[in-house]
Amino acid sequence: MPEYKGMVQPLRATPDEMRKIFAEPVPDEQKPEKALEYLDEIRKKFRSFVVAMESCVKCGQCAENCHTYLGTRDPNNIPANRAELIRKIYRRYFTLEGRWFGKLVGAEDISLDVIESWYSYFYQCSQCRRCAHVCPFGIDTCEVTFIGRQLLHWLGITPKLHAAVGGAMEKVGNHTGLPKPGIIDTLEFMSEEIMDEFGVEVEFPVDKPDSDIIYIPSSADFLLNPYTLMGAGMFFTYIGANWCIPSTVTEAGNFGLLFDQYYTQRGNVNRLLNAAHELNAKKIVWGECGHGWRAAKMYVPSMADRPVRWPLTHVHDEAAELIRKGELKLNPENNPYPTTLHDPCNYVRACGLNDNMRTIIKAVTVDFREMTPKGEDNFCCGGGSGILFDDPEMYQRRIQLSQKKADQVRATGIGKDGHGILCAPCSICKAQLYPMVEEHDLGVEVKGLVDLLGKALVWK
Amino acid sequence: MKLLIGQILPYITVTLFTLGVLYRLGRWVGPRIVHNITLSPWPKTNTEVAIRVGSEAFLFRNLFRFDKALWVGAIMMHLALLNIIGGHVVGFGFLGEQFALIPGLGITPELSTEMSDMLGTVFGILLFVTLLYLLFRRLTIPHVKLVSKPSDNMWLIYLIVLVGVGNIMRLFHDFGVGYEQVRDYIVALALFQPVTHMELLSNGFFLTHYLLVQILLIVFPYSKLMHLFGMFAERWIVNRVYKDPAPGIPNIDVAAARKAGIGIPSDDAAEEGV
Amino acid sequence: MPCLNVNGVEIELDEDGFMIDPDLWNEDVARAFAASEGINELNEDHWKVINYLREYFKQYHIAPMVRKLCKETGCSLKYIYDLFPSGPAKGACKLAGLPKPTGCV
Repeated sequence: MPEYKGMVQPLRATPDEMRKIFAEPVPDEQKPEKALEYLDEIRKKFRSFVVAMESCVKCGQCAENCHTYLGTRDPNNIPANRAELIRKIYRRYFTLEGRWFGKLVGAEDISLDVIESWYSYFYQCSQCRRCAHVCPFGIDTCEVTFIGRQLLHWLGITPKLHAAVGGAMEKVGNHTGLPKPGIIDTLEFMSEEIMDEFGVEVEFPVDKPDSDIIYIPSSADFLLNPYTLMGAGMFFTYIGANWCIPSTVTEAGNFGLLFDQYYTQRGNVNRLLNAAHELNAKKIVWGECGHGWRAAKMYVPSMADRPVRWPLTHVHDEAAELIRKGELKLNPENNPYPTTLHDPCNYVRACGLNDNMRTIIKAVTVDFREMTPKGEDNFCCGGGSGILFDDPEMYQRRIQLSQKKADQVRATGIGKDGHGILCAPCSICKAQLYPMVEEHDLGVEVKGLVDLLGKALVWK
Repeated sequence: MKLLIGQILPYITVTLFTLGVLYRLGRWVGPRIVHNITLSPWPKTNTEVAIRVGSEAFLFRNLFRFDKALWVGAIMMHLALLNIIGGHVVGFGFLGEQFALIPGLGITPELSTEMSDMLGTVFGILLFVTLLYLLFRRLTIPHVKLVSKPSDNMWLIYLIVLVGVGNIMRLFHDFGVGYEQVRDYIVALALFQPVTHMELLSNGFFLTHYLLVQILLIVFPYSKLMHLFGMFAERWIVNRVYKDPAPGIPNIDVAAARKAGIGIPSDDAAEEGV
Repeated sequence: MPCLNVNGVEIELDEDGFMIDPDLWNEDVARAFAASEGINELNEDHWKVINYLREYFKQYHIAPMVRKLCKETGCSLKYIYDLFPSGPAKGACKLAGLPKPTGCV
């Protein structure tokens, strides 16, 4: 049972699984000492971390603004307290006040228990940055949990899910372990499906040299989100783009952002740039994946090991631009059901996709209803940062974490006759919400935004 | 006591405060902003950055948006604090006659002193009350209680005592000090002249108030009070100008593509006659 | 590590109860899994789904898209849930001896 002294924890990767992603587990008795060593190293590198450690005044505003705390009511899930799990160690060893005044200022000695509490609580945080958004100082607890997860990874503590994703990425270039023949078979199937349903000929070119753009889909689209793949294919065909999907990077996500920003995230960035280089592409267009789009848009420039010659845009950016220019003929009647938009956190608080998503959804649906709060104020789906753990205990947590989202969806009234569409254009959101709309009995169907765009295209 | 608090400690305080703050800020400057973690929707120009950061720093925008009660308490407290610190500087500097120096208002020096007294009293009481509110909030609101450490409450109590002593001096004339006394004392200190003989230092309330302020300044760099600088350091990281790369897919002509009927099966188009 | 004993052969499972080595699969393994999943008897439709998954996995080393599974076996998603209460991934794939899918699924 994944639990440590009463704290829920995700299943962890075995030492062998850790070695597959180039991490050597540290023996338990050395963990506290090593954790300090790594923390000391990292605090000298990241200003975002140091300032977050030293500027919080504990005003408590983050508490009621965190879906994790709202769903669990566990005091350690208040962002200020979650950061405190590492801040108390930081204080104790790296500040004068902590060394001198100890408990009075909330400093504490490092121990295995503390490290285990990091594992429990840093993996209940969705890294959605809503706390940074509402904090009067802008303190970004996401930076704290990023670094907490990094330390854990270096100690050899990483969830099985994240490690498996890292391993699959190493092996085939996507998170689900899809090899190239499987990719091509699925894409051919998609072409047939598009012909059957829409009567349109759409090809999905793979590894086509000299493509103007390479499209990076989420690999989950190949298993679970057919309309997202179909929508993208239809969109690129409709506008006459010279495009292809690179078989070496069929993954919009980059879990490196979420557990290992050194080796894993950087490796994935290089893999992407290699693909763009090899196919002689002019531009990289991203598919529906929240954290992955943040990892690409905001981190590729600082992670790349070469000049980045390829502009990176999101497929929503491109579609919205063409809609604004009036170049797409769309029939919103093709999406007749009441629709609401769940804003993926990384899109609205880290990537500025707020307006473009609305440009599209308003153009392709007849009955669009905003949820409250919306846009950059929106709450996370509860699965953010890949905490899609499905062992029974953690799955129960996920239901709690999605409580706020469920309340928001219900308040829009879109699902009351069982026909609502909950548009959630991010693979993690989709994977979280597919089961959660059932758990909370919301009467809605989860769709991507490209899905709705594809359906609305008028071909003749 | 007079020698220690009035003559020696002030120099130590100024030195420790300055070095301490520089040391702390130096610790923040060393590590870099490694990745771009700007919060979106991001500002597009430096003016927008200034407006955003300014509205957070001086109007407490986020508190206003998400917690109105805290906003009222916090902004009143800081406003009162700012006025009191400013009041100490100009009040002692100009002996309370600062308002008379503003041309065109026709304020007499006597009126100015009265105004100075009144403003000091009002803000002093306001600061005391708002600090009490913040302490009350820490002790009663469950989620604030959950995030509070002993030091958080202690700082509030410390400030309440400090401000309380100041208020006693302001409200009860017998315990107070004259503007002139303080100015002369500061001038003497600045010129490294002996001050122990000054009448000012025989006032127990003044000594207490003064000692509390000095301890506060010495501890300042190692405390949560650093949020004064943290505010700007953090905002400097999360509110930066970002410009999106231009959208536009290379070599596409949507109109031509639609005219050519790309994607539409050829026989199908003929059949349906469109 | 949990194990499943089928006809005297110890079959290693991961923490989620999926087979570590899919090559050890045989029909009795599927039946043993079915029992642990609370499925009383594997009928023709169960086998249709299982066999399709195994065939697909043999060829592509991955489970098919759920939509494709439904289409090729003629079972609606709802019917697949009726057959395998844990769903296509955690139920059907497990019985067919496929490894647990990873990623955002």
